[in-house]
Amino acid sequence: MTMTESPPAMEPQSMIPALSPATGLYDWLATSDHKRIGRTWVHASLLMLLVTTIVGVLIGFEQVDASSVDIFGGDNGYFQLWGLYQFALVLMVAAPLMLGLAMVVVPMQVGASNIAFPRAALAAGWGYVLGTGITVVSVLAGGGWGALDGVSGDEADAIALTLLGTGMVIVSLLLGAICVATTVISLRTSGMNLMRVPLFAWSMLVACAVWLLTLPIAVANLAIMYTDLRGGPLTFGNPEGSDAMYAQLAWVLDQPQIYAIAIPALGIIGSIVPVAAGARQIAHWPMVAFIGIFGLLSVGGWSQPYFANTSGEILYIAFGIGIVLPVFALVGGAAATLAAGDAPVGLPAAHLLGALGAGVVLLAAVVCGAVKVVEPFDLIGTSAHGGLMNLTALAAVTAALAGIWFWAPKIGGDFLPSGLGCLVMLGFIAGALLLGAPQVVAGFVDAPNLMLFDTEDSVVNAMSLVSAIGAVLVALGAIGVIVAVISSKRSPGDAPGDNPWSGHTLEWATTSPPPVGNFAEPLAKVVSEAPLLDLADEEVDA
Amino acid sequence: MAITTTSLPAAPARRPRTALVGAMLGSGAAFMTYIGLLAVYLIERSNASLAGADWFPEGVVELGPSGWIFWTMIMSIFTVQWAEWSIKTGDRTNGLWALGLTGLFAAAVFNQLWFIINDTGFTLAGSTPEFMFFILNGAFIVFLIGAVVFLALTMLRALFGQYGTRQADGIGAAAMFWNTVCTMYFITWYVVYVTK
Repeated sequence: MTMTESPPAMEPQSMIPALSPATGLYDWLATSDHKRIGRTWVHASLLMLLVTTIVGVLIGFEQVDASSVDIFGGDNGYFQLWGLYQFALVLMVAAPLMLGLAMVVVPMQVGASNIAFPRAALAAGWGYVLGTGITVVSVLAGGGWGALDGVSGDEADAIALTLLGTGMVIVSLLLGAICVATTVISLRTSGMNLMRVPLFAWSMLVACAVWLLTLPIAVANLAIMYTDLRGGPLTFGNPEGSDAMYAQLAWVLDQPQIYAIAIPALGIIGSIVPVAAGARQIAHWPMVAFIGIFGLLSVGGWSQPYFANTSGEILYIAFGIGIVLPVFALVGGAAATLAAGDAPVGLPAAHLLGALGAGVVLLAAVVCGAVKVVEPFDLIGTSAHGGLMNLTALAAVTAALAGIWFWAPKIGGDFLPSGLGCLVMLGFIAGALLLGAPQVVAGFVDAPNLMLFDTEDSVVNAMSLVSAIGAVLVALGAIGVIVAVISSKRSPGDAPGDNPWSGHTLEWATTSPPPVGNFAEPLAKVVSEAPLLDLADEEVDA
Repeated sequence: MAITTTSLPAAPARRPRTALVGAMLGSGAAFMTYIGLLAVYLIERSNASLAGADWFPEGVVELGPSGWIFWTMIMSIFTVQWAEWSIKTGDRTNGLWALGLTGLFAAAVFNQLWFIINDTGFTLAGSTPEFMFFILNGAFIVFLIGAVVFLALTMLRALFGQYGTRQADGIGAAAMFWNTVCTMYFITWYVVYVTK
C-alpha cells in the first residue's frame, strides 16, 4: 500500500521562466512583453482620440451653420469626415483603448506572467495602427464609406482603401480580443475561478466574447462591399451615389451593438470604486451577472436595418429597454459600495471622478437608447442615432481614461498628474453629455442623422450649438490627455510604490512598474475576488 | 510490507490549454464571418424570390459535384480526428499519414470547386446571384486555405517531434478549425446547392 500524506504541490504560473527585459527600437517593434504591447495600443489609440475629437469639432461647427462654414468642400466631403468621426470613435479609439488597457492590466489581474499569444497581440497592435493609418489617409484622399455623388475612378480606389483599412482594424481588434479572452480563460492563477476574476478582467472576457460574435459580421459586410466595388455588379458597392455603404455598416454604431463597446467600462467602474471606497464591492456575484446580462443585451449583428427593418420588432425593443436594468444595477452597486466605504470626503481623484462620470454618461446613453426604441417617439433614423453613439462611445472612452489614470503606476511606472486628470475627466463627462444629449433631443423634432442643410428650426439650431460646445470640451479633454502622458514621461515624479491606492487585486501585488514576467515570487492561492484585502485581513487577525 | 511515502516530487506544471482556447475563439470568429456572408446571401435570395425572379437559371448549379465535395469533407473529418488521436497516443507514423490524407482531401476539394466554378460559367460581375455565389464559395476557399496552412504547420511540428503524448494541443487546435471549415461547407452545400 502506498500512502501520500500531502498532495504534491503544483508549480505556480509565476515560476514560468521570465522573458528577458526588452530594450531598444527592435524590442519595441518585436517585444513579447504584454505591458509594452498594451502601451503601443494605448498610445496609438490616444493619438487617434486627438484626431477624432478634432474632426468632431469641425463637424460640430459645420452643423451649427452648414452654409457659412463650408470647411469640408461640399456635402460629400462632409459626409466622408462625418463617417470617419463615427467609425473612428468606436472602432479606432474606444475599442482599441480598452484592448490596450486590458493587455497591460488583465494578465496581472489574473496572476499570469504574460498575455496569451503575445506575438499575435503585437501583430494585432501593428495591424490596428496600419489599418487606422490607411483609413484616415484614404478618407483624406476622397475615400470613405460611400460617396453621395457616386463612385467612380480614383474615388472608387480611395473608397476601396477605406473599406480595406476598416477591415484591417476590425480583424486586429478580433485578434487582440482572442489574446485577452484566452488569457482570462486559461491563464488564471491557482484558486481564481471565474467568479473570483476581478471585474475589469471579467468585463473584458464578456466584451471580447461579444466582439468575437458580432464584429466578424461587419468584416463580412466589408468583404461584400469591397469585392463588389472591385469587380462585382455594384449591388452593394454604391453605384448611384448614396450613403448605402455607410448604411450597410451603420448597425455597428447603433443599438444594441454600440453598447458592446462600453462593456469594459462597467468593469473599470467596478474595479476603481471599491478601491476608492476602501471596501469590498457590495454584491460581487450579482455585479458579475449584471455585466454578463449587459453583454448579452448588446449583441448586435442580427439587427441590420439596411437589409431588414428590425426597429418595430419586439426583440429590438426588448433589448433597447432591457439594457437599462443592468446599468442601473451596476451604477447602484458602485454607489452603495462607495457609501459603505470609509473614503475621505473631498476632491475625488481623477480616476474616481472619471469612473463615476462614465457611469453617469452610460446611464444617460441607455436611457436615451430606451426612449429611442419606443415607437411613438419615432427617433429611428434621426440625429438621436448619432447622440446615442456619442454618449455610449464617450462613456467608454471616459472609463478607459479613468482606468489609465488608475493603473498608470502599472502601465508606465508613474502617476499621471491628478489635477490635470480631473480637468480631463470633467471635459469628457461634460463634453459627452453636451455633445450627445442635444442630438437625442433634436431627434424629437426630426433632425436628420446626417445634417447636410441649414434649418429654420430653432430647437435644432440651439441643440447643434450645444453639441458643438460639447465637441470642443471633448477635444480639449483629449489634448489634456496627451499633455498629461507627455508631461508624465518628461518629468517622472516620486516612485508610486507597489500599491499606492491600496488596491485589492493581484496587479497591485507586484512592483510599479512590474518586472518582465510580472511576479517575482509565486502567488498564494486566491480565495476571493479581492486577494490583497484577504491578505490584509489575515495580517490583522494574526 | 506497506510502503509509506511522506513526500513525493511535485507534479509537473499544469499546462494551460491556450492553443485550444485560442483556436476555439478564432474558429468562432471565422464561423461568424461566414454566417454574416450567408445572411446577406439568404436575404438577397429571399428578395429575389419575393420579386418573382429566379435566383439561378435552371440546371446551371448542379448537385452532383458539390455532393462529392460534401463526402470528401466528411472523410476529412475522420482523418483529421485520426491524426489528433494518433499524435495524442504517441503514434506519429499514423498521425502523419492521417494529416497527409487530410491534405489530399483538401486538394481534391479545391479541384472539385474549380470544376464547379468553371461548369457554372458564372462571372463576378454577372448579376447579384452570381456575385453572391462567388462570395460564399470564395469565402469558403479562403477559410479552407487557412485550415490547410494551419494543418501543414502542425504537420511540420509533429514531424520534428514538437507534438506528442504530452502536448498535442496544436493538432487539436488545427483539427478544431478544420471541422469548423467543414461545417461551413455543409451549410454552403445545403443553402447554395440543395435549396438553390
